Amino acid sequence: MPQVIIDGQTYEFEGKHKLLQFIQDLGKEVPFFCYHPSMTAPANCRQCMVKVGQFVKDRESGEYELDDNGEKVIRWFPKLQTSCNIDVADDMIVHTQETDALVRRAQKDNLELILINHPLDCPICDQAGECPLQIQTYKYGPEGSRFEVKKVHKPKRVVLGPRVVLDAERCINCTRCTRFTEEISKTNQLTITSRGDKNYPTTAPGREFTDPYSLNTVDICPVGALTSADFRFRARVWEMNQTPSIDITNGKGCNIDLWTRDNLVLRITPRYNGEVNDHWMPDEGREAYKIFNENRISRPLQKLDGEQILSSWNNSIATFNEQIAARDKKEILFIGSPHASVEENYALQQLANLMGINEVIFTSHTESGKGDDFLLTDDLAPNTTGCRLLGLKELDQKDLGFRVKKASLIVLVNDHFIDREIFSASDLDGKYLVSFATNHSKTTKFADLVIPITTAAEHAASYVNVDGRIQRTIPAKETKYSNRRLNLEMSEGRLDRYGTNFDNWVTEDNKIDCIPLWNFITEAANASGLDLSFEDGRSMMNEISDKFKPFENVSYEAMDAHAGIQLSLNPKTESPKVK
Amino acid sequence: MTYEFTTEDLKEIEKIKSRYPEVKPATLPVLWIAQKRFGHVDPDVQKLVAATLELPEAHVHGVASFYTQYYKEKKGKYVLDVCTCLSCQLCGGYDMLHYLEEKLEIKAGETSDDGLFTLNQVECLGACGYAPMLQITNDKYVNNLTHEKIDKLVDSLKKGEEPGYEKMEMPLRKNN
Ligand code: SF4
Ligand code: SF4
Ligand code: FES
Ligand code: FES
Repeated sequence: MPQVIIDGQTYEFEGKHKLLQFIQDLGKEVPFFCYHPSMTAPANCRQCMVKVGQFVKDRESGEYELDDNGEKVIRWFPKLQTSCNIDVADDMIVHTQETDALVRRAQKDNLELILINHPLDCPICDQAGECPLQIQTYKYGPEGSRFEVKKVHKPKRVVLGPRVVLDAERCINCTRCTRFTEEISKTNQLTITSRGDKNYPTTAPGREFTDPYSLNTVDICPVGALTSADFRFRARVWEMNQTPSIDITNGKGCNIDLWTRDNLVLRITPRYNGEVNDHWMPDEGREAYKIFNENRISRPLQKLDGEQILSSWNNSIATFNEQIAARDKKEILFIGSPHASVEENYALQQLANLMGINEVIFTSHTESGKGDDFLLTDDLAPNTTGCRLLGLKELDQKDLGFRVKKASLIVLVNDHFIDREIFSASDLDGKYLVSFATNHSKTTKFADLVIPITTAAEHAASYVNVDGRIQRTIPAKETKYSNRRLNLEMSEGRLDRYGTNFDNWVTEDNKIDCIPLWNFITEAANASGLDLSFEDGRSMMNEISDKFKPFENVSYEAMDAHAGIQLSLNPKTESPKVK
Repeated sequence: MTYEFTTEDLKEIEKIKSRYPEVKPATLPVLWIAQKRFGHVDPDVQKLVAATLELPEAHVHGVASFYTQYYKEKKGKYVLDVCTCLSCQLCGGYDMLHYLEEKLEIKAGETSDDGLFTLNQVECLGACGYAPMLQITNDKYVNNLTHEKIDKLVDSLKKGEEPGYEKMEMPLRKNN
């Protein structure tokens, strides 16, 4: 097998590899800026220099040439090479900065060059703490600069588009952002303008950076040049917690990280999953932080004399049971939701079964033309496939309307039918509407009983994407009833660890008074003497996997180990439209 | 403002395109055609080039802004690039620049009110042997400048007469 010697260690390899990627895959390091594993390598930052050579072989005999000491003779490449775009070859010898003073020198000098006109004001820079330039300058850079002349100034706070703001002075012209619009999002909206020490990325004159994936450039920018209009200067990275989660704004289920501070989700960034979203996500999914923070329902609401008033949990449970008990089961309609997780829909379904209520129905939430060939889907909900696989009855909007007309009690989970104009407020005259919801909406406004439930940012639950991949969330945000220190799955940042209620950086206000739907259902069932109990998403998934063929072998452990699990879509359920 | 290529321009552009396997490399020569036709390649002209070649506007903008020889705004009819780099500077390049500034009553970087002249200060144009020198609108060099030579040049340009190419002899090294 072909061999390569890196810093004195021999590694075997197969196939084609770029040297930088190969070194990284070994868990070793070479500093770099412009290289990105999902894009072409233009080798323009020059930071990834290594020394490369090849053992000399006699062409005819194929024997290695030996020197006087019997060592194999090495022919070094005449200059240092950029490791990002050189192919690993058999008999190659590589010296990185770990073993070679010349390489160390080259990397250091290159950083000095990159930094000539760089502002060097990390303390006030948005990228500080997660800045490759900062990190690598600490590790490999010079102690100071020999350039004492005035720095070249470039435009600051350039609004490239509705979501991206540029600080041109910080740009190191790695072209990752322009390559992203050329190679990944294919909108070709960015280019580098001018040249030499005047250049920086920009749109064509008079054009805006409206790319639906524009915020990915902020993620891959290796410096603080591209910033998110929404998030810039709102938080330091080291003050936030990072929790892996799933995008719930469409059917693709992009893998994401939720960044929270004091129980507010401040930003959402993509998390690598080669099977789903690679390194990317649509800008729309990042807006979801608003769903988690704003306009939340906190404490149950109950209508009294036509007006919604805050109610207690005990009261709302009692009311829920009374309303159900007071009616003929045929008049009760349980509506699940593609916006709710597998576990939530399952809990509702189990309650309906025990109560002897007709099957649980749902309707999908799609908008045709919304999807593209990339990460946006026509499906606007994260779990349409999950509802189908659980066997909920799928109705189109018209049929759903009929069923609503015939019912006298409607239990609705996390869907906003009045907002979606599936039925209007007047259709509800004389009916009792129970709405389990996360956020206030027109629909919850008309409900007689509103039960606040947890969002994807507050519970561990699973969602099945349009391609049939089941993936799960981890709670990122505490509710009034959850606690980071007790729930070992939740991450705990510095502020959480050292903050107290008397500090001005933590408050109780951001914890919503809500509970997971399955907890409410457990309470309600117990209060009405039904034998039904759910503990958490993890144990529910074990139940689901025992009961439903498509979920066979699915468990949180398995999902965690494989970054989600591809389910075989039951041929009986209508196969989801993949856009 | 809206610009349009003439039919001849378009024919020429087709010919240029046929020379390359892809369209992208045609950007440079087509920008030249545009600059010849309109005198500059301002953002609107860049858009025209992008639309004509069916290339992204950002790409055309990137190329046009990379090269100083493409004028990204309206310039005077004659653009005088006066070299003040080392050799020219030592031989009086600044003197020539300032003489022109006074004569045309504009500063370097500006365009005269009659729209006839734009004056620029530039770096080495590779004619150090005949310093000081200037270049007219990306084209002809005027070498070994003196005040008199500048007077004559400006007069004839005002009359619309461009000087021809100057033939410069390389001083031969004598092998002794
Ligand atoms: S971009 Fe990085 S190195 Fe530059 S000022 Fe910001 S944090 Fe510091
Ligand atoms: S803005 Fe950032 S990503 Fe774009 S070229 Fe500059 S440094 Fe690279
Ligand atoms: S990463 Fe190799 S040159 Fe930039
Ligand atoms: S210094 Fe003026 S042409 Fe070279």
